[in-house]
Amino acid sequence: MPPILAIEKLSKSFPAVRAGDDVRALSDIDLFIEEGEIFGIIGKSGAGKSTLVRCINFLERPTSGEIVFNGVCLSSLSKAELYHTRQSMGMIFQQFNLLAQRNALRNICFPLEVAGWDRQKARQRASELLELVGMSDKAGAYPAQLSGGQRQRVAIARAIAANPRILLCDEATSALDPETTHSILALLKDINARYGITIIVITHEMPVIEQIATRLAVLDEGRIVEAGRTSEVFAAPQSEAARRMLVRPQHEDGLIAAAARRYFESQGMALEEVIRDYAQ
Amino acid sequence: MLSSFSVDGGMLLAGIGQTLYMTLASALLAYLIGLPLGVLLAVTAPEGIRPLRMLNTVLGFVVNVLRSVPFLILLILVIPLTRAIMGTSLGPSATVVPLTVAAAPFVARLVEASLAEVDQGVVEAAWSMGASPFKIIMKVLLPEARSSLLLGATIAAITILGYSAMSGIVGGGGLGDIAIRYGYYRYETSVMFVSVALLVVIVMVLQALGNRWARSIDKKASAPSGMAFGLFGSGMPLGGRKAEKIGQSAVPAENKDEDAAT
Repeated sequence: MPPILAIEKLSKSFPAVRAGDDVRALSDIDLFIEEGEIFGIIGKSGAGKSTLVRCINFLERPTSGEIVFNGVCLSSLSKAELYHTRQSMGMIFQQFNLLAQRNALRNICFPLEVAGWDRQKARQRASELLELVGMSDKAGAYPAQLSGGQRQRVAIARAIAANPRILLCDEATSALDPETTHSILALLKDINARYGITIIVITHEMPVIEQIATRLAVLDEGRIVEAGRTSEVFAAPQSEAARRMLVRPQHEDGLIAAAARRYFESQGMALEEVIRDYAQ
Repeated sequence: MLSSFSVDGGMLLAGIGQTLYMTLASALLAYLIGLPLGVLLAVTAPEGIRPLRMLNTVLGFVVNVLRSVPFLILLILVIPLTRAIMGTSLGPSATVVPLTVAAAPFVARLVEASLAEVDQGVVEAAWSMGASPFKIIMKVLLPEARSSLLLGATIAAITILGYSAMSGIVGGGGLGDIAIRYGYYRYETSVMFVSVALLVVIVMVLQALGNRWARSIDKKASAPSGMAFGLFGSGMPLGGRKAEKIGQSAVPAENKDEDAAT
């Protein structure tokens, strides 16, 4: 089966602020996302994550290279066709980006209105989705009256309302506390399992990838430095960037964990095993 | 001195009527022209949803030129136009023409500023859902900016009211006309004071109504809308909004969740 999304030789440069070389945000990105998987892209801030996810739905036009979504080259589309194609690509954001002057239900109606749904049908569908994300009792609430986690739930319902094939998550849990993050990721996993929507998760948080992604790519300075199955990359990161991202060097805990990992590996044991044994 | 002149109540009442008529009719017409113009300015700006540099520069230039002509001069400059449209250059209806010409570019800037305030993230979300620029204008920019647009309309109406008083110089009618004719030309100070006082009251009522209405339709403020402030309590609309924004950011945006267990 062909991948639902192929990113081929993708590069993106931004014009220099002053005279000089353009700023190169992404270089030669090649990625193939299979239908129905949850794919994680991890990188520290400034690595080009947000640019990459915005290139996928052409919110940013790539400088070179191609996005092939569901067999269609996005660069070949007219504006109207691109708008239509975007209806099959949901997206959620770090800051939720709900319409402040619409209540939860009508926020979810928005993409359906854009897609030309009948008002009554749209409301019906929106109610079902509110139920799916566990927010039925908040249909009439405005974003300002909701907590961060609740807002993201509404945003998720909105993003999948028009039955997209793919859901892009741009730092979707970075503004949330760890508990809420956990519950939002569980919801995304559930949606993935139930509807088979392909999910791409962009984050700088290692635990997010760990909890949700089946495969991952590590982005560093605009390049993919490592990609593979999550368990494998976590067990044996090949690149320096991956090691830095995945073992949390910025925290003492991470340093200790990294040291412990190295020690146990030198002893022929995996840190995970030692921890599992210890917990029991 | 004051007591030696009786104030003609009927005349003042007619003056109030004329002033309100000029203000509201001109505001309506100014929005008919200024609203689309303001949308165009906001949309074609470099950070707008459909940047068009040439059009934006030209429009901006025209608006700036019109806005920099002092109203008193404009009042005289457009007399031929007023005569062509209304058949006369005297009276409240004729004054609507220069008032509209003066207010439309001002309204355009107010609308532009209101739309520019709309959260860029929300606009981006609309793009991501496949909305066209037209749908973003109709379903995102204008509805999201509605409260700010209404406050802008209040400012516009009050500015027009002030201009309409100036048109008394050339026989425009309304309270300003009365103040100038009786107070300035005939030294009937009491008439002038009363008409000016009436203007002040109209401005305050307009501002208070505008503030209340804008507040009641704004769902961004998490406090329940409505009776939180008195009729004249909120003062300058921009100051009021600023305070509200500060108040909002003081509340931690992403605090603990109740739904973490699910």
